[in-house]
Amino acid sequence: MLRFIAIRLLQFPLILAIIYLVTFMLVWVAPGDPFTRTDKKIDPAVIAAVKERLHASHWYTFLGYYPLLMIQGNFGPSLTYEEWPVSKIIGDAIPVSVTLGLYALVVATGAGVAIGTMAAVWRGGPFDWFSLSVALVGISLPSFVTASILFAVFSVTVHWFPIGHWGSLRDLTLPGLALSLAPMAYIARLTRVAMIDVLSSDYIRTARAKGLSRRAVVWKHALRNALLPVLSFLGPAAAATLTGSFIVEKVFNIPGLGAHFVNSVLNRDQTLILGAVMVYSLFLLALNLLVDVGYAFVDPRIDVTAKGMKS
Amino acid sequence: MTRLLLIPAVMLALLGGAMVWSGSAVEKKADFTFINRGEVTSLDPNRMSWMQDIRIGYALWEGLYTIDPVTLDAIPGSAFPIDVSADKTVFTFHIRPDARWTNGDDLLASDFIFAWKRMLEVPGEYTYLLYYIKGAKEYQEAFANHFATADFSKVMIQELGPKVLKVTLVHPVAPFPDICAMPAFYPLNEKSMNKFLDRKTLEKTGGRIHQYDLAFTLPPNLVTNGPYELTKWEFKRRMRLQANKYYWDRASVKSPIVDQLSADDIQWAYAKYESGGIDWIPEFDGEIAAELYKRHRRDLHVFPAFGTYFYSFNCQPKLSDGRPNPFADVRVRQAFCMAIDKRIIVDTITRLGQIPSTTYIPVGSFPHYVSPPGLKMDFAAAKALLADAGYPQGKDFPPVSLLFNNESVHGPIAENIRRQWLDHLGVDVKLEGIEIKMFRERLHNKDYAVARASWYGDYNDPSTFTDKYKPDSENNDAGWVNAEYAALCRAADYEPDKEKRLVYFQKAENILLNEAPIMPIYTYVGCYLFPDRSTGIPLNPRQMIVLKSVQRAPASR
Repeated sequence: MLRFIAIRLLQFPLILAIIYLVTFMLVWVAPGDPFTRTDKKIDPAVIAAVKERLHASHWYTFLGYYPLLMIQGNFGPSLTYEEWPVSKIIGDAIPVSVTLGLYALVVATGAGVAIGTMAAVWRGGPFDWFSLSVALVGISLPSFVTASILFAVFSVTVHWFPIGHWGSLRDLTLPGLALSLAPMAYIARLTRVAMIDVLSSDYIRTARAKGLSRRAVVWKHALRNALLPVLSFLGPAAAATLTGSFIVEKVFNIPGLGAHFVNSVLNRDQTLILGAVMVYSLFLLALNLLVDVGYAFVDPRIDVTAKGMKS
Repeated sequence: MTRLLLIPAVMLALLGGAMVWSGSAVEKKADFTFINRGEVTSLDPNRMSWMQDIRIGYALWEGLYTIDPVTLDAIPGSAFPIDVSADKTVFTFHIRPDARWTNGDDLLASDFIFAWKRMLEVPGEYTYLLYYIKGAKEYQEAFANHFATADFSKVMIQELGPKVLKVTLVHPVAPFPDICAMPAFYPLNEKSMNKFLDRKTLEKTGGRIHQYDLAFTLPPNLVTNGPYELTKWEFKRRMRLQANKYYWDRASVKSPIVDQLSADDIQWAYAKYESGGIDWIPEFDGEIAAELYKRHRRDLHVFPAFGTYFYSFNCQPKLSDGRPNPFADVRVRQAFCMAIDKRIIVDTITRLGQIPSTTYIPVGSFPHYVSPPGLKMDFAAAKALLADAGYPQGKDFPPVSLLFNNESVHGPIAENIRRQWLDHLGVDVKLEGIEIKMFRERLHNKDYAVARASWYGDYNDPSTFTDKYKPDSENNDAGWVNAEYAALCRAADYEPDKEKRLVYFQKAENILLNEAPIMPIYTYVGCYLFPDRSTGIPLNPRQMIVLKSVQRAPASR
C-alpha cells in the first residue's frame, strides 16, 4: 500500500509538468494579452517596458523564468493586477473554496445517503417516488438556476440569510446547499440502486431469516456494502464541488478560487491562469489518490495496485 | 462499521478546520460604504488608468493641483500659492507648509521630482501627459535608448527650495492645472519605497534603473499624502480607507472610515444595497438599472456622462485583407451616418435615457463651447450619397462586417443598426461579435471595416477628445488623416486664450463630424444608486467623486 502511494506521488511532478506545458501553450496561442486593459491603446514602448519587466516579452523568456519560480512555490505577480503575487491571490481564495466545497460535500453525502437508503427500504412507496423526482430535478437544474432561486427566495425575499458576509456557518448555508444539490441527487440515486441490490442478496435474506431486525440488517450489513459506489463517487464529487463553484461564488459574491480562475482567462492573466490550473490539478490528483486509498481502507479485498484500476 | 463512520468524521473535522482557516475577524464599522464593480487594477500612480483606480487615487493622494469636489475644476491642492507666468508656461509651486505624508514626513518638492522622474524612466499609460514639460519627452526617449547617458537635469523640473518647485512647459497648456491634478502627477514617498527597490538591477545598471516591487502599494506599506490612508486591501473583497491624520485639510474630510466592497455581479450588488448598509453604487447600469429607471426610482440617479458611444469606420484605402475599402469614400461614411435613427436605440435597447447624439464631444461638456451640428438623420440624402458613391440602392456594395465585442448591449445595438442600414440603404453588413480582448486587438490594428467604439474624456478640456484623431495619435483607430484638423488641434494647443481655443476646437470637431470617420450614436449616461441619506455625491459628467466629501447623513446613523 505504501509503495503504491509512493509511486503515485512520484508521478505527480511529471503529470503536473505536462499539464503546465499544455496550459502554457494554450495561453500563449490565445489572442490578446493582459496589458491592454481599456479600449484606449497604450504607447507600444510602454507595453514593451511592462512585458520586459514581467519576463513576458517572448514565450521563451516566460518559460525560462516562471517554471523555476513555481518550483520554489512562487507563481510570480499577476500580470493584470501587478501588485498582487499569484500565490497570495490563490492562497487567500483556497480556504474559501475548500470550505464551501467541503460543506457542500458533507451535506450532499449525508443527505444523499439518507434519502437513497430510505428510498430503497421503502421501495415503490411515495417517499421513493418523491426522492426520485427530487433527484431528477437536482441533477437536471444547473447551479446558476438553483443558486439564483435560493438567493432570491431566502436572502432577498424572506431575509433568513445575510447577504455579503463570509465566515460563519450561516453564511455558508445557501451557497453550500446550491452547490450540493447535484452531487446529493447523484449520491441518493447511487445509494438507492446499490441498496436495493444488496437488500435482495442472499446474505441479507439469511440475516433476516436468522431473526435480525430490519434496522440491524440495514445498518450493520447492507449499508456498508451499498456505500462502496458512493465512496468511489466521492472523489469526482469532491473535485466537482471544490473546483466547480464558480457560478455559485458569483451569485453569492464569495471570494473563492473559481472566480479568479474564470476572470484570469478573460484577462489573459497568464501567471494567474497557470497558477490556478496547477492548484486545481494538484487538487484533482490528490483527491484521486485519496479515493483509491480510501477504497482499499473500507474494503480490504480491493487491490488498488492491480493493473486496470480506475484512476 | 467504525471504519465507515470514520469517513464522515474526517469530513466534518476537515470542514471545521477549513472554516476556522477562512474566517475573518470583526472590526469597526465604516462611516461610508460603497460597492465597486470589479477590483482596482493598481494603486501605483504610474499605472492607474481605470475610473475606480483614479477615484481611490484622489482619496489617497493629492497633486499640486486637485479637483473641486462639485465643479471638478482644478484648484490648488498640496501647493498654495501657485505662481503662473504671464505666458502660462512657467508654474512655480509653493508646497503648503503643513502638507505632510501619512507617515508624518514633510511633503517636499523632491517627492514630486522623484515620482515624475520615475514616470519618465518607467513609462506608464499616462506618461505622455508629462511631455508638456520641457525636456521630458527627450529624457524619456534618451533613457529608453541608453539609460547611462540620459541627463535628467535637462528636464525643466527644478527644485528652488525644499518646498518650492518650478516647472517649465514646452508651450502654453491651458488644461495644465487639470492635468496636474491627475494621478500621473502625484508625488511618491521614496523613503517608504526603498525596501521594495530591486537592488540587483540597480547595481547592474550602475545605479540608474530603479525598479520597485509593486507591493509598495499594499497596506501597510503605502505612504500617501491625500485625505485618506489605505489601511486594508483584501483582493477582490474590500478596501478600507481611514482619514489621514496628517492631511493639511483634515477638517473637510467628512467620513473618517470609508469601505469599498468589490462585486463583479451587479445583481448581488443590488440585493446587498436593498438589504441596507450600502451608501452608494457607482456605475450601476444594465438591465436592473433600466428597470428601476422605468419605475422612476428616486434613488437611481441618471445624468449625462463625459463619453460618447459611436461606430468607427476604417478610412484606409484598403481593408486588412487587401480588398478596396468602400468606407475610404467620405460619401459612403456620411450615408451610413445619416441612415440611422438613434432614438430607437436609446429607447428600446439601452433604456437609461441616453441622449441620441450627432457630435463626438458630448454636448454641454464645456461652458461656452458651441457644438457643431454634425450629420442629421436624413434617409433620402443618405440614399443619394450612396448612389453618388456608386452604390445605388446599396447595389454591388462589397461584403463588409460590423465588428463588436459580445459584452453588454453591443450585440443588440449592432443588430438594430444592421437592420436600419439594410432598410434605409439596402446594404447588408455581416455581424461579427467577438471576445473583448480580440476585439481590442483588431480595433487597434485597424483590422475591421466598421467597429463599435467609445471614448471617455480624461480631463476638463476638449483636447481630451480631439487628440484621439490627430494623425499621429496611437488611438486613431479609424486611420483617418486630415491636415486641416491636425492644424486646428495644434493651433489650439499653442493658444493661451481659453475662448479662442474653443473656437479652434469647434472648427476641428466640425471637420471630424462632416468627414465622418466616426458615427456618433449616443452620449453615455452615468448611473448612481444611492439613498437620500448619502451626501457629497454630485452628478458631474466625469463621474469623479471626491471621497473626502461623501457622507452618510448623521440623522440616519
